[in-house]
Amino acid sequence: MTLKELQAQCESVPFFRFLDFTILEAEDEVILASLVQSDRHIGNPIIGAFHGGIMASFMEAMASVTVSHNWDILRPKPINLTIDYMRPALAGTLFTRAQVSRKGRRMASVEAVAWQDNADKPVAKGLFHFLLV
Amino acid sequence: MATMTSKGEQAAKLEKIASIWNSRAHGLIGEMNLKIEKVEESKVVLRMPFNPDFCVDDEGTLLHGGILTALLDSSFGLANFLATDNVQSMSTIDLRVEYLRPAESRADIIVSAECYHITRHVAFNSGRAWFDAPGKPEVARGSAAFSLIRGEGSMLDKMNTGGPGG
Repeated sequence: MTLKELQAQCESVPFFRFLDFTILEAEDEVILASLVQSDRHIGNPIIGAFHGGIMASFMEAMASVTVSHNWDILRPKPINLTIDYMRPALAGTLFTRAQVSRKGRRMASVEAVAWQDNADKPVAKGLFHFLLV
Repeated sequence: MATMTSKGEQAAKLEKIASIWNSRAHGLIGEMNLKIEKVEESKVVLRMPFNPDFCVDDEGTLLHGGILTALLDSSFGLANFLATDNVQSMSTIDLRVEYLRPAESRADIIVSAECYHITRHVAFNSGRAWFDAPGKPEVARGSAAFSLIRGEGSMLDKMNTGGPGG
């Protein structure tokens, strides 16, 4: 599946259109994507920060696509997630890299990290489990 | 007499928070169109109407887990404001969500969130979300810790008087 096809597939998902992210790189078990802040992403209007739930949703979306590039064949079922919020994510672009830690026949475990200007200063990290059956 | 005053103050505070929240919601909270169903001292019950934009399928029957996570996060923040005075700002330290079953329904989601313990610097939350449908099928549970910055003038007051974006 090409990057363009993967992006088109994501855009067929209503909630992914709501998030409005762009996949920048996609390998077998790693995906890099960006999300530009819109009003609907804001959680704290005083400082214009991203809503923590949007950061979690973006990371979860990328984690699930990393597990399965083709949702027509397999849509991973989320089991649970843990998010560590490290810094406020302010107006601008949010980047996420999701990487499969382990993928078996029944389960997958994925790590995701999100940052803004500096990849060495993450704004959040997440751990996601999916059921594949 | 003192208790009557404090009860009156508490009621006024709840009413004020509810009215600010309902009328001045911006960003994602506005998109989620959250309605306060019930507020107590450190507990809140919110309703999120069904919205096909939050679904993963074109038919609009299966909610994405991420929106439930966002809903829990928002309701925890509100519960924390109810639980204490003089919180200038707060931020989520961490958040854990368990997806108990596929969120497959067109019913509204009800979320109940509680601040079950609070210290000067940290608030601890737990909550659950279910469909407002027969049997009240529970779809998610969550827990979180928030870091609190205390000081004069609450974040909600600033929203009400209009800071940047407010």
